[in-house]
Amino acid sequence: MSIIDISPLQLLLCFLFVAVAGTGSVVFRLDLERDLIWGSIRTFAQLFLVGYVLKFVFQISSPYLVLLIFAWMIFWAAHAVRGRVKEKQVAIFLPTFVSMIASYTTVAYVVTAVIVQVEPWYTPQYFIPLGGMIAGNSMNAITIALERMLSDFRKERPRIELALSLGATYQEATAHILRDAIKAGMIPSINALMTVGLVSLPGMMTGQILSGTDPVIAVKYQIVVMLMLVASTAIGSTVVAHVVRRLCFTQASQPTLH
Amino acid sequence: MKIELRDLALQYDDKPPLFQGLNLTLERGDFALVQGASGSGKSSLLRLINRLQEPSSGLILIDDQPIADRDVHTLRRQIAYVQQTPVVIPGSVADNLCFPFSFKIARKTSPPPSTELRRWLDDFLLDQVQLEDDASRLSVGQQQRLALIRILLVQPDFLLCDEPTSALDPQSKEIVEQWLERTNAEKKTGIVLVTHLDYIPRQVQLRRLALEDGALQEAAS
Repeated sequence: MSIIDISPLQLLLCFLFVAVAGTGSVVFRLDLERDLIWGSIRTFAQLFLVGYVLKFVFQISSPYLVLLIFAWMIFWAAHAVRGRVKEKQVAIFLPTFVSMIASYTTVAYVVTAVIVQVEPWYTPQYFIPLGGMIAGNSMNAITIALERMLSDFRKERPRIELALSLGATYQEATAHILRDAIKAGMIPSINALMTVGLVSLPGMMTGQILSGTDPVIAVKYQIVVMLMLVASTAIGSTVVAHVVRRLCFTQASQPTLH
Repeated sequence: MKIELRDLALQYDDKPPLFQGLNLTLERGDFALVQGASGSGKSSLLRLINRLQEPSSGLILIDDQPIADRDVHTLRRQIAYVQQTPVVIPGSVADNLCFPFSFKIARKTSPPPSTELRRWLDDFLLDQVQLEDDASRLSVGQQQRLALIRILLVQPDFLLCDEPTSALDPQSKEIVEQWLERTNAEKKTGIVLVTHLDYIPRQVQLRRLALEDGALQEAAS
């Protein structure tokens, strides 16, 4: 079964949905009309732009271009982490970005080259969507882990200083905090493993089924994705938390956060 | 071991300096009392010597060697510091007493046996406290003594105590002071005691230091 294409006219019909929402906004004085229109236009523009960029990248199929796009996605993921963690004393952007690049490229490479065995491994049709899912999902884990870690460093400063004053290294003094932070970041992706298929059908699997893929093949891909996301959240948040923790102490193991 | 402070200054951000031009030499076996108004920088001075923070300027020498040249973890073990507010880790009284022995730096020393820990508790009038008790349930005064025993078990060369008797009843205060003097006399442990309370020495030669208006002055003995 091949996929049914959507004509421009059919696509424009979708504006009826926006019109319904807009009418609701006017009737109930929600004052959301402008945002609805602007949001809809942006959805069209942004997604078409991405679509054409991807079409171009798929045609060229250069490893450099694919990795550049991957780095670009990770850049915005790291940017979002910085925005949500809101840490003023420690510059977390660069260490987060570099750690994310290193760990996500490794995971994405293993998935395409070893598990799915795509030839070549950087085939954009596989590498970019899989890599995008890694960056998008692990971003939440890293944000939760960093928020928790930095807040506990401040809250538990007397206990950290007690350990340091007794000759502990900063790693020993903060081991319990790091452990709890990484664990907190991991819990949502472990919960997702428990509920997948029961509570909702994952977006990627639904997309594959819509595009005519055999549901069993779609399920296999979804399993790869779920396990890949657990690995990337674990590796990503562990690496980022370790690197950022280093920045919270001086060379002489003195805490720098106030 | 000798600690030497040379022209030491400490200033936080753009506030006026807490102290400056501070000079002091402490020899092993000294018993020094540091007094001064609250906020005069007494606690910060102890933190600088334990290297929990850096001075704004000046030098700290340990046996004529800049403090930065020494391994910071070994140094903190030799020049131990007891925080003003006692800190207990989650767990039992025994867990807290053995905490200093849980780090890499102490891998060659084994934690004291429970009979020894029991004796320490009794010596510090903590005979009602059991080793299995939850340390967070102890009173502040009991936690203060627990923190002091914990540091004495490390057997440092110098002991920097920040108000170690502030929450103690007169009897417990007497015991703690006796122990500090005994440690000083028997083990030659250098003691630096920050306190706002009056101190009457029993058997030690006391060096009285006053941190006032950003300068350290020593009273003639």
